[in-house]
Amino acid sequence: MLLGIIEPDEGRRSLLGHERPLEAARIVGYLPEERGLYPAMTTREAIAFMGALRGLPLEIGRKRAAILLEQNGLGDYVDKPIKSLSKGMAQTIQLFGTIVHQPRLVVLDEPFSGLDAINQGRLEHLIRDEAASGTTVIFSTHVIHHAERLCERVAIIADGQIRFEGLVADARDRLRPQVRLKTRNAEGEWRKALPRNAAQSGEYWQFELPKDGIEPLLRALLDGGAGVEELSIERPGLHDAFVAIAGASAAREMEASLQADLGKGA
Amino acid sequence: MMSLFEASWVIARRDFVASVFSRSFILFLLAPLVIVAFALFFGNMADGAERSANRPVVALVADSDTVNAIGEARARLVAGTSDEAFPILRQVAPAENVQVQARALLADEDESYSAVLSGTVEQPVLTGPAGVDQYTGRRLQLIVDEARRTAALDAAGARVRGAPMVRAVTDQAAGSLQVVRRVIARGGQGLIFIVTLMLATLLLSTLVEEKSNKVIEVLAAAVPLDAVFLGKLLAMLGISLVGLALWSGMLALGLTFFVKVVEDFVTLPAIAPAIGWPIFVVLMLLYYTANFMLLGGLFLGIGGQASNIREIQTISMPVTLLQLMVLLLAMNAVGGDGSGAVVWAAYIVPFSSPLAMVAHAAQYETLWPHLIALAWQALWVVLIIRVSARLFRTTVLKSGSGGSFFGFLRRGRRSGS
Repeated sequence: MLLGIIEPDEGRRSLLGHERPLEAARIVGYLPEERGLYPAMTTREAIAFMGALRGLPLEIGRKRAAILLEQNGLGDYVDKPIKSLSKGMAQTIQLFGTIVHQPRLVVLDEPFSGLDAINQGRLEHLIRDEAASGTTVIFSTHVIHHAERLCERVAIIADGQIRFEGLVADARDRLRPQVRLKTRNAEGEWRKALPRNAAQSGEYWQFELPKDGIEPLLRALLDGGAGVEELSIERPGLHDAFVAIAGASAAREMEASLQADLGKGA
Repeated sequence: MMSLFEASWVIARRDFVASVFSRSFILFLLAPLVIVAFALFFGNMADGAERSANRPVVALVADSDTVNAIGEARARLVAGTSDEAFPILRQVAPAENVQVQARALLADEDESYSAVLSGTVEQPVLTGPAGVDQYTGRRLQLIVDEARRTAALDAAGARVRGAPMVRAVTDQAAGSLQVVRRVIARGGQGLIFIVTLMLATLLLSTLVEEKSNKVIEVLAAAVPLDAVFLGKLLAMLGISLVGLALWSGMLALGLTFFVKVVEDFVTLPAIAPAIGWPIFVVLMLLYYTANFMLLGGLFLGIGGQASNIREIQTISMPVTLLQLMVLLLAMNAVGGDGSGAVVWAAYIVPFSSPLAMVAHAAQYETLWPHLIALAWQALWVVLIIRVSARLFRTTVLKSGSGGSFFGFLRRGRRSGS
């Protein structure tokens, strides 16, 4: 709907100041999840065609395509048809096609799905470069890890609604840091100082950092002779934040689809 | 945003290049030529074989004088008409009992005679089944009468010479003009119909590629769907025009050769459609384009709803029938007095309008109805493309088929519940 593929039933939308998204087509790039390339086209033509769709003259598109391919070590593939490429390679070509007209906004739908680690790395690198040059990049993903590494801001969508929108740091800050503790002595007076919701798994205690900080607890541990073997305070990851924000069921679903994706990739 | 035409041009250029520069396009170009050559070759062979096979052969059982007289009479009649107009006569020496011989001849399957003519010119006897009277009998009667008349005139010493006919040459006769124009009208309709028929499946399946490899999402996100549809139609039109140019070029080459060879022997009639050849050719091209865009837009719309080749195959038969119905309606515009509800329907119904108007151009001189008709058809082209694109947007894009943005939304919804 953002890109104008489907029309809203009601309400209004605005993309870079344009009420009708297609009016902004020249300054927007879009990479669909599935390969939206004509298999018989050569890589250069495919990139130039995607540029031409967004108003870039074909000649310039071809030149830029050759440069993009050359710069990324794919110079040999200039005249190779898309169907001869691997999935990761085709996805890279498609990303070139998405940015060849130098858009101000790039929308990527699940750009990493089904790619191996090397191609994921290459794509990540390209996306970072694009963002560094001042382009706004929006992408959707089921892999929280990518969002955490690449994004400044995230929107968490669950149940068709945006549950959180803001900086990655803000999302992580929604949860208190987690404390992990291992002691030599299992019992003792110090246990009273542990927060009530502290969970024990094996020799480890796990709980949220208390509101008044770690010092009161530390003191109790020392005074009580607990014998601290391990103590760590970890800032929660985006994954934990996601679980907390989107709900556990959404997280489980994500896990399942991630497993499925990994299965496909293997 | 690019204008609709710029965007259509980008789409059309891609499709055109992808089709014309593919190996299968050579096959596409050659197929009709091969079919025509095939038809001509075997048509000729079959024709030649059939012509002698279909004509009745009559055994002529008579003395040599009778055979000569009848042979000469037949030759005179054939000179004024054609050899095909009369049965073939084959001389058989008479046996003692002619009646028995006739029956034996008729029973002989190798010779396969239709009838046996025996006796003399004065007393001819025709032996054969009742069925031969209609065709063979009457013609044999003509031959025998001619032989008798000549013999009588010879006996009387009279000599009838053919009257020298004074020839006054005019430009054209209304009767033959009407006939010629109807032929041109039908020919024009037939040509447009056949080319469009050949391209119908191509048009139906043209969106399946985009749908199956998800290019449609890239296209729909960048340019208006109207432009996608218009671009695809223009590309197909361009492809068909390349084919037409090549085919008609070859035809013209063949005709030039043919005409050069025969023009010394035959004077070709000066045939022309009512509106004149140059305008007629231009109108043919315009109406071909209109016909193609109208039916093409419809087929593209229908084809866009199908999600695989199997569905396309299922739907192509009703579509062919639809085209036939359109042709039948348009054929009403040929001949008659050019009025009446059916003829008007043929002019007005957008799908038959181009074909009917081609017939109009062949038969009537007025130019202004064509301007109205072309504007009317153009309006419908726009309408059909818009409706097709809208239908495609609501039924295909919204429903989606897993994956992509739409899939993500659905997955999100499921996960919340």
